[in-house]
Amino acid sequence: MQKIIKDGVIVESDLVWISNSETLADTSADTLKKAIVPLSAWLEMEDKGQVAGIWLESDENTDQLAGKNISALSVIGVHFPAFADGRGFTHARLLRERFGYKGEIRALGNFIPDQLGYLLRVGFSAFQFADEVNLEKALQLHKPFSVAYQSDVADPRPLFLRR
Amino acid sequence: MYQYDAIDQQLVKERVDQFRDQTQRYLNKELSEQEYLPLRLQNGLYVQRYAPMLRIAIPYGMLSSTQLRKLADISRRYDRGYGHFSTRQNLQLNWPKLETVPDILDELAEVEMHAVQTSGNCIRNTTTDQYAGVIADEVVDPRPYCELIRQWSTFHPEFAFLPRKFKIAVNATESSDRAAIQVHDIGLQIKKNAEGEIGFKVIVGGGLGRTPMIGRTICEFVPRAHLLSYLEAILRVYNQFGNRQNKYKARIKILTKALGIEELRSRVEAEWQHLKGKENTVPDAEFDRLQGFFTEPDYKTLTDQPTELTEKLSQSAGFARWYERNTFTHKKSGYRIVTLTLKKAGIAPGDATAEQMDKAADLADKYSFGELRVSHEQNLVLADVEQSQLVELWEAAKEAGFATPSLGLLTDMICCPGGDFCALANAKSIPIAQQIQEKFSDLDYLYDIGELDLNISGCMNACGHHHVGNLGILGVDKKGEEFYQVSIGGNSGHDANIGKILGPSFAEEEIADVIEKIISVYLDNRTQEEKFIDTYQRLGITPFKEAAYAKDN
Ligand code: SF4
Repeated sequence: MQKIIKDGVIVESDLVWISNSETLADTSADTLKKAIVPLSAWLEMEDKGQVAGIWLESDENTDQLAGKNISALSVIGVHFPAFADGRGFTHARLLRERFGYKGEIRALGNFIPDQLGYLLRVGFSAFQFADEVNLEKALQLHKPFSVAYQSDVADPRPLFLRR
Repeated sequence: MYQYDAIDQQLVKERVDQFRDQTQRYLNKELSEQEYLPLRLQNGLYVQRYAPMLRIAIPYGMLSSTQLRKLADISRRYDRGYGHFSTRQNLQLNWPKLETVPDILDELAEVEMHAVQTSGNCIRNTTTDQYAGVIADEVVDPRPYCELIRQWSTFHPEFAFLPRKFKIAVNATESSDRAAIQVHDIGLQIKKNAEGEIGFKVIVGGGLGRTPMIGRTICEFVPRAHLLSYLEAILRVYNQFGNRQNKYKARIKILTKALGIEELRSRVEAEWQHLKGKENTVPDAEFDRLQGFFTEPDYKTLTDQPTELTEKLSQSAGFARWYERNTFTHKKSGYRIVTLTLKKAGIAPGDATAEQMDKAADLADKYSFGELRVSHEQNLVLADVEQSQLVELWEAAKEAGFATPSLGLLTDMICCPGGDFCALANAKSIPIAQQIQEKFSDLDYLYDIGELDLNISGCMNACGHHHVGNLGILGVDKKGEEFYQVSIGGNSGHDANIGKILGPSFAEEEIADVIEKIISVYLDNRTQEEKFIDTYQRLGITPFKEAAYAKDN
């Protein structure tokens, strides 16, 4: 099982991140129940409730989720092809603020522990790091600065409304 | 001037601690080169050709004498006793040791300074007019708005990994644009609408670099309360749709061009509709609070043109020259704005030694309420000098090498660090500046030529803004040799324009002569009231080109 950081602790996740749509065809219903599938594949499924979650590529867009019942999903993943690709920060924020998604938002791929502060502030709650990352060490960076100027997912009020 | 409160202080401290830890992990090889790179960049640390370079933010150019003394002190203890004021109101140290950078940042924090987001693909230091708050014709003082933007953009969680760097500049006067807002990713022109409400004309997609472009107006008027939500909408569209494949196509200017301004506008509008009127709406109380940091100093009631001044003006041609070029009209009678030039022949434009920084700080204390500004043209400004003290200040400034009376003239060049310091350079730029300064050292000749911006960049990244110089010089690499391309007709300010390339590039030793030939065309053809740029616009490029490439006989 995959070790991840979720809500600030290291846990085992029994969910399987299916990174490639092509492998989906041969997947059993049981496996699908535990699967995080690509957004594009999910949009084509008739029974959208058969998977645990979906994930977005950085160049996809949350607009595609408009009108879909995403609250039933237990996880929405956001993939970082490279840690310098910052599109995922916007995706997570929109999922929380515009789509009102309350479930787990999981960062996937090549983001790095030093980004945790910002990732938390835009609404990520779980982190499935690349294999080589030491989770114990990453956990030490699992906190934003103690104050912030801007609004964020944790507190929509910018500092000027909190003074 | 803005003063940190407990929260600002806390944030800067946490940031320094964070960077100390990151640097330690990098040195221990726990962080890879590639991972450390954006982290150090967002703390102002470049690795340059010969040594690291640390770029320290001077938010919208405001500096207290205490801060400047600290910079002098740091440059002495951690560097080689000098610093370089850049075109974006920052100070660069060229030789700090990487391991000591966290200590430098710690010391900066003691005087409410930092190097946060001075490089990297994030929102950079917001810049403005160096005369903000002290000129008569500004709509309002732009600095409270700059501070608002500074806070909004500092550690913005969503926009720390943009496709490319992002620069915002604010201008508040109709008569001129000393902040060059049309060549920024976002340019904000403060204005009032028919009802007298304060807001911003928003210009987007300007920039220099490889593909120079003048910005386009995306919104004619955004009321100030909605500024942050509007900026947020632009940044969000850019973060999602900006090019991430090719770093040369990643700036918002390219997105603006690719989508077209109408499409970009409609995407930003659509995003804005979601954000407008929510928490990011800035209440008047916050504007008042920020305004409170920029109240007027204790001005005396004085009259213009006191006898101390007028007498000296009639007696000393040298003083009169300096007064004409290096000082500027103040909004209060009896006061004057003074520029301390950092453009002495033989030194790199914008360079100041630690001794000069100390001296400038002393002058600020003695003559200008202990405050200074850093200008886009790489000079220092004392904003509030009593006219009766100008003579004394002039004497002191001369002694410190701050009184080259050439502001706005040919030798008041903008010049990037170039091949002497910068790893990206194709060619050196500082020796070119020196060559030209030597050629045009005769002041009468310089005055006769009059106003002319000459800008030099060592490569296409255009840190020296060569495209918007009336004359621009760009270092190019030709089979491993340093050559220089000359462009003509560029302009910054409200009539921003990109210069045209004259033709094939020149060898290093030819440059000053070529510039002289171009200038003779102007001198031979100008009408009485024409500046260089006017004559160029009237005649077109041909005569200048012919002169530049004419064979000597
Ligand atoms: S223009 Fe080029 S050479 Fe000059 S400082 Fe910028 S990157 Fe370096």
